[in-house]
Amino acid sequence: MDPQTRDLERAPRESGQRDRSRTQTVLRNVGIPVLSIVLVLLLWQAIVIIFHVAPYIAPRPMAAIQSVTDNWGLLWPLVLGTIRETIYGFVCGAVLGLGLGVIMAKTPFLHRMVYPVLVLSQGVPIIALGAPLVLILGFGVTPKVVIVAWIVFFPVTVNVLAGLSHVDQDLLNLARVYGASRWRTFWQIEIPASTTSLFAGMKIGATYAVTGAILGELVTPSGASGSLALYQETANTNFNVAAVYGTTMVMTAIGISWFLLIVGSEVLATPWQRRTVARRSMFRRRRDVPPTLRVH
Amino acid sequence: MSSNDLLQLRGVAKSFGATLALEPTSLDIQDGSFVAIVGPSGCGKSTLFNVIAGLLKPDSGEVQVADHVVTGTAGHVGYMLQKDLLMPWRTVEENITMAARLTRGVNDDDRAEARRVAEQYGLGEFLRHYPHALSGGMRQRVAFMRTLVTRHPLLLLDEPFGALDAQTRLEMQQWLLEVWKEAQRTVLFITHDVDESIFLSDRVLVMSPRPGRIIADFVNPLARPRNLDVLTDPHFVELKSQILHLLHGGR
Amino acid sequence: MNIRRLGALVLAGSLASGSLTMLALGANASAAPLTNVTFAYDFPSPDFELVPMVVAQDQGFFTQGGLKVKVVFPPDTSTTTKLLATGAAGIGFITTTDMGVAVNAGAPVLSIGNYTMSNNWALFAKPGVSLTAKNLKSEIEGKKIFSYGDTWTESMLPFVLRHAGLTSSQVSIVTDPTGQDLKFLLAGKVNIATNTSNYEVAGFDTSGTKGKESTLLGTAIGAPNIPIWVYATTRSYAASNPKTVSAFMSAMEKATLWAVANPTKAASEFDKAYPKSGYSNAYSLAGWKLTIPFMKNSAGQYFTQTSAQWATMARALKSIKLITAVKQPSTYYTNKFLPSS
Repeated sequence: MDPQTRDLERAPRESGQRDRSRTQTVLRNVGIPVLSIVLVLLLWQAIVIIFHVAPYIAPRPMAAIQSVTDNWGLLWPLVLGTIRETIYGFVCGAVLGLGLGVIMAKTPFLHRMVYPVLVLSQGVPIIALGAPLVLILGFGVTPKVVIVAWIVFFPVTVNVLAGLSHVDQDLLNLARVYGASRWRTFWQIEIPASTTSLFAGMKIGATYAVTGAILGELVTPSGASGSLALYQETANTNFNVAAVYGTTMVMTAIGISWFLLIVGSEVLATPWQRRTVARRSMFRRRRDVPPTLRVH
Repeated sequence: MSSNDLLQLRGVAKSFGATLALEPTSLDIQDGSFVAIVGPSGCGKSTLFNVIAGLLKPDSGEVQVADHVVTGTAGHVGYMLQKDLLMPWRTVEENITMAARLTRGVNDDDRAEARRVAEQYGLGEFLRHYPHALSGGMRQRVAFMRTLVTRHPLLLLDEPFGALDAQTRLEMQQWLLEVWKEAQRTVLFITHDVDESIFLSDRVLVMSPRPGRIIADFVNPLARPRNLDVLTDPHFVELKSQILHLLHGGR
Repeated sequence: MNIRRLGALVLAGSLASGSLTMLALGANASAAPLTNVTFAYDFPSPDFELVPMVVAQDQGFFTQGGLKVKVVFPPDTSTTTKLLATGAAGIGFITTTDMGVAVNAGAPVLSIGNYTMSNNWALFAKPGVSLTAKNLKSEIEGKKIFSYGDTWTESMLPFVLRHAGLTSSQVSIVTDPTGQDLKFLLAGKVNIATNTSNYEVAGFDTSGTKGKESTLLGTAIGAPNIPIWVYATTRSYAASNPKTVSAFMSAMEKATLWAVANPTKAASEFDKAYPKSGYSNAYSLAGWKLTIPFMKNSAGQYFTQTSAQWATMARALKSIKLITAVKQPSTYYTNKFLPSS
């Protein structure tokens, strides 16, 4: 048999049913999680009704949701504040984490020297950071950003380190055979080969980022502008339990959205993980060369 | 070029600690020839290749490629391993142009050349595919094209078909001969497979381990072009028996 | 003071009622000759206001009354009322404003005795900084004012602002549930701290800072003069365990009188009972001594509540819209478990 025909047969088919299967995939990936959230809310509602849970202990989910919609004008700026802290902190943490990971992977001396400090930094209770951060940085957004970055950078660093140290040595040797510079080897091989690890670290960081922002709002006061966490605090002290639960739902929604955003950017950044064929480049129009052109 | 030899090794030796991996070895490889190297595991074949490729600096001796001393320096040969080492995040076309990307940046000529070889050797439809979408044979062909477009006259192929199934391997061997003929390169080809070494080569070097050294150098008497019928040719059978005897003693 | 209410998130994030009920069942299950009582403090960690409780245990006043009291600490100050409402605790220690918002939310809590008799909540500024009722407006306008964010501070601040003729947007209120008030004040991060005088002065005096803080009592600038802390239970617990509640208040009376008479010994007993409280003996002793004067009313009585105090509380909270309805004073309290009545 002609080898080319055999290989063609083995190559995956460009399926004509692709659109349909994509719709099914979206339904499966979005529909099932949404359904499970609805089920949790229903279960919650059922427990509250069946066990006659007093509204000041646990409200019905609808009451919690209503407390959010009724106060949305008040909540919205606070939500934006939490999102801003999350984004700033996450970006700072991820950049710092990536930078530290790269530097430590490249200089074993720094690795040995810095790593224990990094581990130590994660042992510091965030609560203990609150007062010193406020005394140094004041009541603004900065101390919250520092706390988020503090939490986010570590998993990024650890994963980037792992990713960089597990790049296929043969691939690096091949680059050497070609006479590649260290710089190009780094950008063309080591960084892309660590993308999956980088995103693994960022996904862990993303799940912590919003929690970090909320914790930051709690341990470093915000002054007159207030914060989502303090809004919840006030609702709690005022026995407004529906608002406490409603705020928790809002925080959860921010957390999930942020995580999904990171997952989404991973999908965009690593098309080879899911696609068979690359998309046409958006940036470069390639000249077509007639196949008859021969060099030799 | 003062001689007809593309590659010349003069007394090249390499030890790892107390172990002599390659005893002083001299070798001349004629330009345009296809030379196979067979030998058991640990016979120093890969050490030899790594020295030629410049990945390892030999303890002594000299490597010359096209009359230039290149001992211990990389960037003078094409190199391909059993592992295809394709970058999963790059398309077929981008993988073929990898050497340019790693050294000076890819230009339109590189891309045109990549498309030309891909189309010429049966992968034209897969230029935009990612490696994971290809079969093992197709991946090895992409890896070979990547080696080919470096334009280095000397290609080191280290068991490139070792991981393929028997059927695919046969197809790839025929394909390689076709490409070799058209591309007019010099090939050094490591293999465990004696049939493969004879089927492909002009010359077969046999190596033995502890310490690694070349113990025999056969000129392959088989005429080209070859097809699968040569596998039963008396010359083939004779050469094969000689090589097997060297490799396995009287057993 | 220490870290407040970080547990709010934890509680809010889970449907905690089930586990709270389990806790209550466990507490009542034992059939020992002594009656078990679970007492919930108002703060996540112990401090000197627990001195009478420690004394009642150490001096055997509870045992004499047939009680075995276990002290639990809530994750945040507003949860004590919820612990009572779910039955996870039988008797608790809360503020009168906590009572106000809890009753307003429908929780069947009932105050059974005052802990302090008057309002010693105040504004504080660094030594030398002027803080007077007369020039209040100019002294606090545009300034950073610290708040714990608890119900009490939330209830008192509006009265102070109203008295000064200011709106909440004309000052900057820094809410910090972790309670770094003194640290922030001394570092100049806030201009004005708010706290009760027994805690603030004890903290300042043991901080090693020279001078005396400027102090302005809330009652001098519009805050209602009502007791701050009370012992509380629920109507159902009081109805089913009247003897237990009476025995508890009786033991607390003996303990309070003993601790008032022997402040040094009492403070040492607290330190022994809670060696990990994080407070120095000097702080606990200073705090307890500063608390004593506020525990007795002008008639020399401890614990006795009045309808007037609860009516004042409810009207005050209603006037700042923290509660929606003013209930009858008897909705909030009873004196019938006090030993003297």
